[in-house]
Amino acid sequence: MLQTFASSISSLLDTRADGHSLPAGLYTREDVFEADIDVFFRKHWICIGLECDVPEPGDATVVDIGNSGLIILRDDDNQVRVVHNVCRHRGSRILNAGSSVISKLVCPYHQWTYELDGELAYAPHMGADFDKSCKSLRPVNFKSIGGLIYACLSDNPPSDIDRLEEAMTERLAPYDIRNTKVAFQADVVEHGNWKLTMENNRECYHCSANHPELCVSFVDLDFGFDPESLSPEDREQAEQHEALYAERTKSWEADGYPSAAVEQLVDCETNFRTQRLIISGAGESQTPDATAASSKLLGTMTRKDLGDTHLWGHNSWNHFMGDHAVVAIVIPLSADKTLVRTKWLVHKDAVEGIDYDLEKLTNVWVATTDQDAELVARSHAGVLDPAYVPGPYSPFSETNLDRFAAWYIDRMRAHGY
Amino acid sequence: MDTKIVHPSSSNRNDAWDPERDDTVVCIDVHQETHDVKSFTFASPQGKWFAFDSGQYFLFDFPLGPDAESRCYSISSSPQRTSTFTVTVKRVAGGKISNWLHDKLASGTTVKAQGPLGHFVRPRGAGRKFLLLSGGSGITPVMSIVRDLADTCEPTDVVFLHAARTPKDLIFREELSNLAGRMKGLRLHFLPEVVAGEPSWAGLTGRISPEFMKLAVPDIAERIVMCCGPAPFMAAARKISAELGVPASSYIEESFDAAVIDETQLSIGEVVTARSFEVEFLKQARTIDVAGEQTVLSCAKKAGLRIPSSCANGVCGTCKSRLVSGSVDMKHNGGIRQREIDAGLFLPCCSKPLSDLVIDR
Repeated sequence: MLQTFASSISSLLDTRADGHSLPAGLYTREDVFEADIDVFFRKHWICIGLECDVPEPGDATVVDIGNSGLIILRDDDNQVRVVHNVCRHRGSRILNAGSSVISKLVCPYHQWTYELDGELAYAPHMGADFDKSCKSLRPVNFKSIGGLIYACLSDNPPSDIDRLEEAMTERLAPYDIRNTKVAFQADVVEHGNWKLTMENNRECYHCSANHPELCVSFVDLDFGFDPESLSPEDREQAEQHEALYAERTKSWEADGYPSAAVEQLVDCETNFRTQRLIISGAGESQTPDATAASSKLLGTMTRKDLGDTHLWGHNSWNHFMGDHAVVAIVIPLSADKTLVRTKWLVHKDAVEGIDYDLEKLTNVWVATTDQDAELVARSHAGVLDPAYVPGPYSPFSETNLDRFAAWYIDRMRAHGY
Repeated sequence: MDTKIVHPSSSNRNDAWDPERDDTVVCIDVHQETHDVKSFTFASPQGKWFAFDSGQYFLFDFPLGPDAESRCYSISSSPQRTSTFTVTVKRVAGGKISNWLHDKLASGTTVKAQGPLGHFVRPRGAGRKFLLLSGGSGITPVMSIVRDLADTCEPTDVVFLHAARTPKDLIFREELSNLAGRMKGLRLHFLPEVVAGEPSWAGLTGRISPEFMKLAVPDIAERIVMCCGPAPFMAAARKISAELGVPASSYIEESFDAAVIDETQLSIGEVVTARSFEVEFLKQARTIDVAGEQTVLSCAKKAGLRIPSSCANGVCGTCKSRLVSGSVDMKHNGGIRQREIDAGLFLPCCSKPLSDLVIDR
């Protein structure tokens, strides 16, 4: 039989061994990076921002994904919109990077002027016969799921985002993320491939040795452990913890807060996982002492003991707690550089210094994000080394990495690689 | 590792009124000054304090009808009293805004206000001698100056000359008399045009004239003259001062119509269109004259000044500029947001001046 390859990447996908990390080229090659952007950041749903990034009519913010520039804006009817940052005249970028306040979308090059719904309102010197009607800014498919903005740059967005939407709309309702504000944002450029960033986030194997701050409130065992490697004392603790989980999940759900894990990780297009996790220690929030950082709770929350509703996608991770939320968005910049944009959200009326202390609010994830950036850089440097050979994932605490790698290979193949 | 950290929203509490961010004041007192003049005192709803110079004004948006109406009013209170500020308004027959203020603006009413704005402020420096010259309701900015001097006990030499129609129209008459009794360097002259309503009026009557001025202020040539009042009054004052040897550099006037509170002046089309205003472009260091019926942009273009622009119709916002002082009549078509206007921006392409302007271009 004659074997043909769609691309040189196909053979690389074939060399991936089950249960093992990816072949080096998938992390390092430029052509793979281009393919990744096309498949995972143009043809799949990605998280690009939040409704509260544009709180008022006229607020706009630009998000760049690969070569695509997206404008998230709020129009005069208070509706969020997402349009391509490409003028319909000769393609010039319309808005600069970052945030701005706009009354119309005006291209700075030749002043083609668009209404906030994208319609071309004014195009000087184009003649009386010029038909403006088909020159609106091109809209981007997007969904606001509980205030999180998911976009898909393809004309055929995967339909299985429905399950994420269904699960998260209900889970996020009491947090009312639409009515939060960004109390703090940190952009960290990690010196590593975006898949290493995501893999690092999907396991807590590395937590106890690397994240002392996070481990006050986070339970590393939640993401798997080998009972044999634990001391008898730790094993007993782990068993108690598992029992507590079952009990706590049952009681949260009885109170009307969906908590059990919902996963769509393999054999799917949209990759996500959500679960309400127990916060250890004081049990309230991911802070240095696990107590709430903001006295003004989110949305309609009246309790601080509802744990941490976590949500993964293939380019984001999120933690929704009673008093605040942490939302991280991952944007690949090149094969070896990845932007991790973390936002700390509090109730929109919460006042810094009165309702919350910014240092207490941000301490844990600022430290954790910096530590993760070091780990990812270390990882990428090693993968670049000709001596790198893919190694085995832990069958206890890295099963989700194996699933992520399997999903990655599967999605690449589905798109012709 | 490249790390950059941004604060997207800083909500630090700042107790000072911030003209860039704050735009709401609440009326906390209304006081009848004369039969047709009332003072309105405003505070910040958040209890912020106000920093302004005596002689400055606020631009208000009053909620009349479907569209808010904008008007500027000079502050009459002392800048030393920072928890509130006061404007003083004369009711004008047929005056839409002044009647609304007199009839509707009550304690507890919230209105939009931007400011403080304006440059009609007392030149500082030791040994300065002043003539504060006001006609009718033009007294407000100079009253603020006198109150400021009274509060600071600054050694000063001030002649205060206030002209009005009748003795009953002398605004702040009693307070000024009291202040003159205790301020060592304040000399007061009231000049009603006629004695109607107070036949016992002991002083002179009539309009300002070189003869009157020579008697009342013999050393006028040595003084810095600060003048505010209706346009004809100011024109006369300017002419007389020049005749009596006041150098142009010592003559300062508040040419800002609304500060005079004489709305009839503004509402008569011919008067407004006949006026020409000075428009200063700070960065290009040029000042041009703009007639009231022309847009700032068209005059700037004719004068060879360059402001980036395109639609000339208030749509695209390309000409958006910062208005440092003065007020304009802007008829835009969506090219600027209210919060940008509140922050001091305007579109020169669709704005006609209502006063002298200073533009950051």
